[in-house]
Amino acid sequence: MVIVDDHSIFRSGLRTELGADIRVLGEAATVDEAIALITELQPRVVLLDVHLPGGRGGGGAEVIREAAPAAPHTLFLALSVSDAADDVVRVIRAGARGYITKSASGAEVSEAARRVSGGDAVFSPRLAGFVLDAFGAVAGETAEADEELDRLSARETEVMRLIARGYSYKEAAGSLFISPRTVETHVSAVLRKLQLSSRHELTAWALERKLL
Amino acid sequence: MTRPRLRLIAGVCAGFAEHTGLSVSAVRTATVLLSLCGGAGILLYAWLWATIPNAPNPRGEALPKVSLARPNPTLAADAAAHDPRSAPITEILLGLALLGAGLALVASRLGADIPLAVVVPAIVVLSGTALAWRQFADIRSGAKQQSSALLVRTLGALVLVAVGILLFFVTGETPNVWTVILAAVAVLIGVAVVVSPWLVRLSGDLADERAAREREAERAEIAAHLHDSVLQTLALIQQKAGPSSDAARLARAQERELRDWLFTGTNGSTVDLATELRRIAGVIETDFPVHFDVVTTGAVLDSAPDALVAAAREAMLNAARHAGGTVSVYLENGAGGTELSVTDRGPGFTLDLVPEDRLGVRESIQGRMRRIGGTALIRSGPGGTGTEIVLGLPKTGSATAHGNPVGDTSTNSTGQNSTGQRAGSHD
Repeated sequence: MVIVDDHSIFRSGLRTELGADIRVLGEAATVDEAIALITELQPRVVLLDVHLPGGRGGGGAEVIREAAPAAPHTLFLALSVSDAADDVVRVIRAGARGYITKSASGAEVSEAARRVSGGDAVFSPRLAGFVLDAFGAVAGETAEADEELDRLSARETEVMRLIARGYSYKEAAGSLFISPRTVETHVSAVLRKLQLSSRHELTAWALERKLL
Repeated sequence: MTRPRLRLIAGVCAGFAEHTGLSVSAVRTATVLLSLCGGAGILLYAWLWATIPNAPNPRGEALPKVSLARPNPTLAADAAAHDPRSAPITEILLGLALLGAGLALVASRLGADIPLAVVVPAIVVLSGTALAWRQFADIRSGAKQQSSALLVRTLGALVLVAVGILLFFVTGETPNVWTVILAAVAVLIGVAVVVSPWLVRLSGDLADERAAREREAERAEIAAHLHDSVLQTLALIQQKAGPSSDAARLARAQERELRDWLFTGTNGSTVDLATELRRIAGVIETDFPVHFDVVTTGAVLDSAPDALVAAAREAMLNAARHAGGTVSVYLENGAGGTELSVTDRGPGFTLDLVPEDRLGVRESIQGRMRRIGGTALIRSGPGGTGTEIVLGLPKTGSATAHGNPVGDTSTNSTGQNSTGQRAGSHD
């Protein structure tokens, strides 16, 4: 794993907190350093701060866009002090597989990193709440077919609502009487919609940030 | 120089005394004496009244953050600052003009020798001044009318003032060079006197606006800097210290205060249920080793019943007291109503085991919700650990659903169309 954050205290702090099964390959502090390091090391997971100096000012999203083609097997987990919606949308649409806040404990970060490396999406309660808002799920909009990108299906909405309440995937699975694997499938589907949807709330943010 | 809020008539003397350092009573005596000299004092007083702005309203003495239905404090203060000055002056001037006209008419009917050559122009000048000031007030307050129409009306009022002043001289004795020059000068001075209060106030507004913009820019710079340094450090402290330690609690409280100040300091006057929940969470976090994760979705609800807020507060307090750790608070304003759940990972409890005389849950949460037509559901948390309290409030208030069966997963707000969703950020 590679940690990208512009605060050395935070990097070293996080490094000591991570679980024993996680090997930190390297650290980077700026956009340019991060791109070079990821291309060289080809890590499985990159823990990426949203706000980074250097590059063209694009922060974490720029790292993902630049480094992803050169490192096809690398997965990105975004990390930020802020929970602002435009930050979330920016990195997720750039291709991050999950989003957690910096106040998360070392164990939580480790768990999220493990999950991302296993190919799953990581949603914080805040992100789930945001998704419900952005897709109009709270207002009662549901997708007719699973393939529809602009709305959540009924099951996806239920999963998001439970995650927003702080349920873990396992607990959400228990409440809905489905397997944890199914919950993960739903979450991944939601992540895909978040990345590909042209729903106007999402594209508005993207346009504002000159992502499209 | 400003006019203080504590005033006898209009605060002119007090303001002048404060500005010059003289005693108020001396200034007042001088004004009265001047008034006896052919009304010079009164004219001066009126002039200063029109030109000197009010002292800024002292803020922050009231407004405890208790109720949701709180009026917007800045708006109210602004209204209070503007109302007493703009409205009465024009009305008083117009009233004087009409009263003068009426009295002159009655008197001339009764056969008195009224100097119409003086009275008629005076009335015209008074009403012209009043109309001009009213137009100025409209311009200043940024009225939505077309600005060209406003301008024409303002110019018309000023022409009325000029004509009135001219009438003084035209209706007088036969014109010669001196009266013409005097008339011209008088017209210029008259128009200047009418316009200048507005100009003075306009420049004051501009200066205020510029100062506000500078403050805003400064705040944004500070926010960017703090975001990079202090907030990161606070996040690190929380992470290293563990969620229930004193250090983490302090760091979290500081972070919350800092965020509030940075991001909602200027326009944070609207209070909705989500903001109120975050505030309650902040208060409880300072007293108990607990961390609330507040997530809100759906439309912004700015008029929640106090009982819902109180019940939510009680539920959060219970979770903090008996469970601690991380507690999730989830608020959803859907088409079907409001749902608020408080989930903790503590030891959990069943209502049957709580003694009859303990009113905490039974009265503060269930009783309150029942009285406002809502529901309160208490069940064990996800995966059998901890406690989950779900408060429900239907939108209409008539569709009550008493006694939801325990164990219901309560996903009930689908299938209705509403576009009242929020397209904003969470933090």
